[in-house]
This record gives sequence, structure tokens and C-alpha cells, in this order.
Amino acid sequence: MDFSFTDEQQMLRDSVSSFLQRSYDFDARSKIVRSAEGWSRAIWEQIAEIGLLALPVAEDAGGLGGTAPDLVAVAEPFGAHLLAEPFIATLLAAPLLASVEDERLEGIMEGSKLAALAYEEGHGTADPSHIAMTAHRDGERFMLDGEKRMVLAGGDADLLLVVARLEDRLEDRLALFSLSPDSDGITIKGYQTIDGRRAANIRFSGVQVEKDDLLANDIEDALRKALDTAILALCAESVGAMGELLSRTAEYASTRKQFGVPIATFQAVAHRLADMKIAYTKARATLLYTAALMEAGHATERDMAILKGQTGKLGREVGEAAIQTHGGVGMTDELAVSHLHKRILANDALLGSSEYHLRKVGNLSRS
Amino acid sequence: MEIDFSPELEAFRAEVCDFLDTAPTPEIREAGRKLTSVFAPFEQVMAWHKILYEKGWAAPSWPKEHGGTGWTVEQRYIFAEEYRRRDLPPLLPQSLGMVGPLLIDIGTEEQKAKYLPPILKGEDFWAQGYSEPNSGSDLASLSCRADKDGDDYIINGSKIWTTYAHHANRMFMLVRTDNTGKKQQGITFLLLDRVDYPGMTIRPIVGLDGFPEQCEVFFEDVRVPQSGRVGEENDGWTVAKHLLKHERGGGAQSPTLHRGIERIREAAKDTPSGFGTSLAEDPVFLRDLGELEADIASYEAFEKLGVSGHPMANDPSWPSMNKTMNSVLTQRISVMMTRVTGNEGLPLQHEALRVGANVEPLGSDLELVAMPYYLNSRATTIYAGSNEVQRDLIARTAGRGA
Ligand SMILES: Cc1cc2nc3c(=O)[nH]c(=O)nc-3n(C[C@H](O)[C@H](O)[C@H](O)COP(=O)(O)OP(=O)(O)OC[C@H]3O[C@@H](n4cnc5c(N)ncnc54)[C@H](O)[C@@H]3O)c2cc1C
Repeated sequence: MDFSFTDEQQMLRDSVSSFLQRSYDFDARSKIVRSAEGWSRAIWEQIAEIGLLALPVAEDAGGLGGTAPDLVAVAEPFGAHLLAEPFIATLLAAPLLASVEDERLEGIMEGSKLAALAYEEGHGTADPSHIAMTAHRDGERFMLDGEKRMVLAGGDADLLLVVARLEDRLEDRLALFSLSPDSDGITIKGYQTIDGRRAANIRFSGVQVEKDDLLANDIEDALRKALDTAILALCAESVGAMGELLSRTAEYASTRKQFGVPIATFQAVAHRLADMKIAYTKARATLLYTAALMEAGHATERDMAILKGQTGKLGREVGEAAIQTHGGVGMTDELAVSHLHKRILANDALLGSSEYHLRKVGNLSRS
Repeated sequence: MEIDFSPELEAFRAEVCDFLDTAPTPEIREAGRKLTSVFAPFEQVMAWHKILYEKGWAAPSWPKEHGGTGWTVEQRYIFAEEYRRRDLPPLLPQSLGMVGPLLIDIGTEEQKAKYLPPILKGEDFWAQGYSEPNSGSDLASLSCRADKDGDDYIINGSKIWTTYAHHANRMFMLVRTDNTGKKQQGITFLLLDRVDYPGMTIRPIVGLDGFPEQCEVFFEDVRVPQSGRVGEENDGWTVAKHLLKHERGGGAQSPTLHRGIERIREAAKDTPSGFGTSLAEDPVFLRDLGELEADIASYEAFEKLGVSGHPMANDPSWPSMNKTMNSVLTQRISVMMTRVTGNEGLPLQHEALRVGANVEPLGSDLELVAMPYYLNSRATTIYAGSNEVQRDLIARTAGRGA
């Protein structure tokens, strides 16, 4: 048993970290998030150049065939630096394109094109079985009606991948369609999220899809795999953010003085720091362990639910404690602290919150 | 022991409902619906203050001779319940709940005559200038200096976290007038008639929810009259502590928390639990909500004991216990709200949150406010003395309450 990064993974992690330290410190990142577009194409190109967009794609599909630990090595620093660029969106879309051998994958991996997976339908579509949107057969074509919400990169994508239920004779399957964002009947409402990402709500009103744009009539297995990968990356991001919160807060508590002494010397503060550290360590251990299980092909539904549930819950504890320990300055937009907390909160809400996943753990162990 | 359930109270309730249903303008209602802080949008809440003043209902907790309503505790709660049920914006606490009561208690006749009426009428808004960059929890270490010069003081230094200083026309503040003794001994409490004295600069600070609420206030040789002093020179700490009792002490706050439960319950009907039912029918969710509701009920009991003058409330740590309980319950409500709104709370909707905005929210009212309200509510355990500091105060008298 060995849960440490390989030398290669460590190198990957270090190079991502130093790239971000150079080009994406908190000030640079704040400027990017406040810009009209809300993210940086230049940064995106560099991320593509390092090969990170090919990471989640299998080698036989032209990707790098990255493992779960590879992804963790990258996503932890992304979280610590609050990456606003559409990495998670790409993690969701690219493997699905790969699974249907779609040639547009190349542009995605190169970073010249963006694809968004229109999957969520509001309130956190925690499981694919919750998908309600249906595609109706209309002769040779299909008709899409309904709404997708919180589609990461949905307003910026060149290509929309839409998951909808295909009601076909007796079968009820999840199909994957590809659509151009400017197809008739599509209305896209783009916005920024609390943690500085771009997303969109997308309404489909009688959108006609050609037969060729039905990429797969049963995408469920590939979709579940992509969701698991995204969950791993979201959790790694959150753990990265937690680590950052812990070090920033420990540093602040040892320099901020009240009553003539550093606040870290007050037991209430010291014990809160200790609890933050325990929470971070617990979350990171769970992350690394789950990544190893995934790499070995042994991660179960329960393992994924434990990871997502624990990270959301422990992450919230760490974020709230960090703000409290900072006092008034913790409440401002000026410090990274609140932004790190918001990233953790957003990652918790995406793809099923900790409430959902912890409950699921209980349900799964019942049977 | 006695609680009044007489039919006359129902007549009073009807009168309150009738007024609250008709008096607020649409903008005031909108400001209340879009509330994401204890500090309501300034313009609309001051407009509402003036309307309440006309009705004689601006300051239910003030003594009648100073313009209070003279209501019984039962009546005050009926008013607060109906007020919150309609999501009307709460009046700002700094003038009505802090400096006003302070002046009523210990101001000179002249100060009362000058300052209380415009507070009551909603013409004046006072900012609270206590905290400084290096003096938060350790407030008594404050260093913003006031030097005597003829009939004036000359102020130099800065304040921070001064809520709504950018909206205020007056400010009460603590200054250092003596450096020689114990830190608590050289502090003086001042009333500033203006916030635009030459040498005064106010810079708003953007909060984690994206809105400017607190400010930095800089003083460079700001000349103010000594007549603005409350209490004796160098005895400001006593005055400040007296005010904190009002700041931390209870009013009828539990109806706000109960209203939170109602809103959560309502929104939960339309929210899938992920386990086959709506959240509103989900046993796990109901158990959590029930726990919170019961805790709020206990807080209501605590609060009513205090407001009605039960001897338990003479405990010196009562205001600290009130502040600690209220702040944590507010946070728990806000967490529960975001739990219901889930993903739908993630979009930033600053424009839609603005009163008078022409932008439709992406989802429901609760989805619009839940996340910024949650983020803003992180402050409740920090301001008015952090909960850690409150616990220290409570611990000092821990053995006495039993
Ligand atoms: C939203 C908001 C509105 C505010 N409005 C106003 C206002 O209108 N006017 C005004 O004057 N001030 C205002 N404040 C300031 C507020 O009173 C201070 O933030 C508060 O007193 C804490 O001080 P600080 O921020 O400097 O934190 P610090 O005092 O630096 O505290 C940092 C952390 O250390 C902890 N700590 C400090 N000392 C101890 C100790 N002895 N034992 C254990 N733990 C300790 C604190 O609990 C906190 O968690 C406001 C603050 C906020 C957040």
C-alpha cells in the first residue's frame, strides 16, 4: 500500500503550482474574475499547453490517460488558487466525447474549443436517474424541451452536450445529444457563480436535433464515470482550498495581536485551528485513499459518496472557522479567505451536496 | 406567572395587520424581500422608518415619554410577528437600538432634546465608531486620539468596520483622551454632529457577499466640539459598556428566526430531497428543521423572560447569552436556507438583488437571497463582540446563574 504521489505526479503537481504562483496569484485571479469575460483565455491556453486538458482522456482516444491520482495532483493546486477557468466543465465533457469517438475532442484538448455538459436540472441533479428532460422522437429527428441549470461554461461553450431521457419503445435510456449553442429554440442565460466560475441556465423549447447529433443512445455508464471523475476533481479542489485556508489562517492567527498577544495563544482560537487541521487532514486522507481506490478500479458508489459527503461537510467547517478566526477582515472581499470558502461551498452544492451523499452512504450500507 | 391571551389582543393584531398590509410602499416591501443582512437597504428602510414614526410605532422598545409605544410585551411580540411575516425590512439598530437608548439612560437633557427626536423621526442615522484596525476584540486598546483644544477636540486616527458610515449623517465614537493609566481609563465617548467634518474621509469596504456595508473612517485633524461628549472625559469605557448592553441585549428577535423557519418550510415543498419526496416530506430534513425550530422556541422563551423583566435576566451575562444564542441561530437558519436552495443559490445575482432592479431573478426569492444571506450572516458571531469574547464574559459568571 502506498498513497504517495509518484515522482511524475509530484513533478506535475509542482509544475502546476509554480505556474499558478507565477501567473495566477490572488490579485491576478481577482482581476480575471472581474473582467468582462470572467476567465482568461491566455491562462486556458497555457493549461492546455501543459497537457492538462488531455489528462482525463484515455490514451487510445488521443489523451494522456491520466489516473485518479494524476487528477488530484492537478486539481488540488487549482482549488488552492481558485481557478476560474472551465476545467471541471472540460472534465465532464471530454471523456464523454471520447466515449463516442467524436473528433471534436481534439479541439477541446487543445484548448481552442470549449464543450459544456448540460446535465444538471436544478437543486443538484445528484444522480443521473434524476434526469427528467426527455427527447421525443420526431420522425428521423428528435425534439428537446426543458431546462438545464448550472451548466458549467454553458454560456461560453462552442458545443453543448445534452443529457436527456430517450423514450423509445419500452426502453427508457439516457442519451447524449450534441448541439450548437445557437441552434433555434435554445436560450442561454449566462452568469458568474459565487466562486468565480461561469455557468448558465439553458432553456430548450422545441429544439430540433438531427439524427447525427444523437451521439449515444445509452450514455449512462460513460456519464457515471465522468461524474465520478468530476466529483474527484471537485473534492481535490476543495481539499486544496482547505489547505490554503488552514495555512492562511494559522499564519494570520500567529501574527494578529489582540490583548497584546497573538490571537493563536487564546485557547479558543488554538483549538479551532486544531479542529481545522484535523478536518483538513481527514478530508485529504479520504481524498488520497479514494483516488488510490479509483486507480485500482475498486472505488464503489459508497466510496464516492463518502468522499463527496465528507469533503463538503469538513470543507464547510474549515471555511467557516477560517472566517471566524479572521474576524472582520474575514468578512471582506479583499482577502482570499472568503473566496476559498465560497469555492468549497459551490463544490459542495454541485453534483449532490454533502447532505445528499452522507444520506446515500447510510442508505447504501443498509442493503 | 401570566401570559395575556385576551380577545383585545386580537383586535390589536388586526390593527397591526391592517397597517402593515397597507402602509409600506412597494419599494419598502421589495427591500424587505431582498434582505440579506441585519442591515436593510438604507434608502428604503429610512423611508419605512418615517412611515412608522408617523404612526407612532418607530420605537416600541423606548419609554413612552420619549416616543415609545407603551405596548405590553405581548403587543410587542404581536407587532414583531406580523412585521416579520410580511418580510418588512427591520429598522436599523445603530440609532434606535444603541445611541438612542444610551442617551435616554445617561444623556444630558440637552442631548436628549437635540438628538432623540430626529432619531425617532428617522431623520438622523448614526454610525457606530468603536472598532479600529488594531482594536477589535481588545476594544479598550483603541488609539484614535482626541486632543483638547479650547472648546474642541482634535481627532486623529481611524475607525474600521463602521457599518453604513457612508450613509450616516452622524456618528458616535470612542476616542483616546489619555494614555497614562489603564487602557480602559483614557477613553472618551463622543457624539459627532456630522460625518463630513473637514479631515474626515469615509471609504466603504466591499464584503464577501459583494456589497459595501462596512466602512473605514479616517480622521486627520478633525475638529469637533467638546459638548458632544457623553459622560465624563476618560470615562467613555463605562458609557461604551452601557451601550453594548443595548447592542447585545434582546428585543423581539425570535419572530425573525421563526420567519426563517417558515420560509424554509415553504421552499422545501418545491425542492426534491433526492430520495423520492420533496424536502418538506423528508423525515431527515424534518428532524433537522424540528431541532432548529425547537431551539428557536427556547430562545423565544429566553427572550420573553428577559423582555418581561424576569429576575433571571438580571444576570450580568444575559446580553452576552442573548447575543451568542441569536447569532448562532441566525447562522443555522441561513445554512438551512442554502441547504434548500442548493445549486440554485450559486449564481451571483447582484443586479437582481438591487431594490428597483429591472432584472428578473433566475429563480425564487429564497434562491436569490439565501447565499448572500448565509455569507453575510457569518458576521453575526464576529460583530458586537465575537462569540469567543462573549463566552469569556459568560464564563466569568457561570456559577452564578444556577
Ligand atoms: C458585519 C460587521 C459589522 C460591524 N459593524 C461595526 C460597527 O458598526 N461599528 C464598529 O465599531 N465595529 C463594527 N464591527 C466590528 C466588530 O465589532 C469587530 O469585528 C469585532 O469586535 C472583532 O474584532 P476584529 O474584527 O478586529 O477581530 P479580532 O479581535 O482580531 O479577532 C479575531 C479572532 O480572534 C478571536 N479572539 C480575539 N480575542 C480573543 C480572546 N481573548 N479569546 C478568544 N478568542 C479571541 C476572535 O473571537 C476572532 O475569532 C463590525 C464587524 C462586522 C463583521
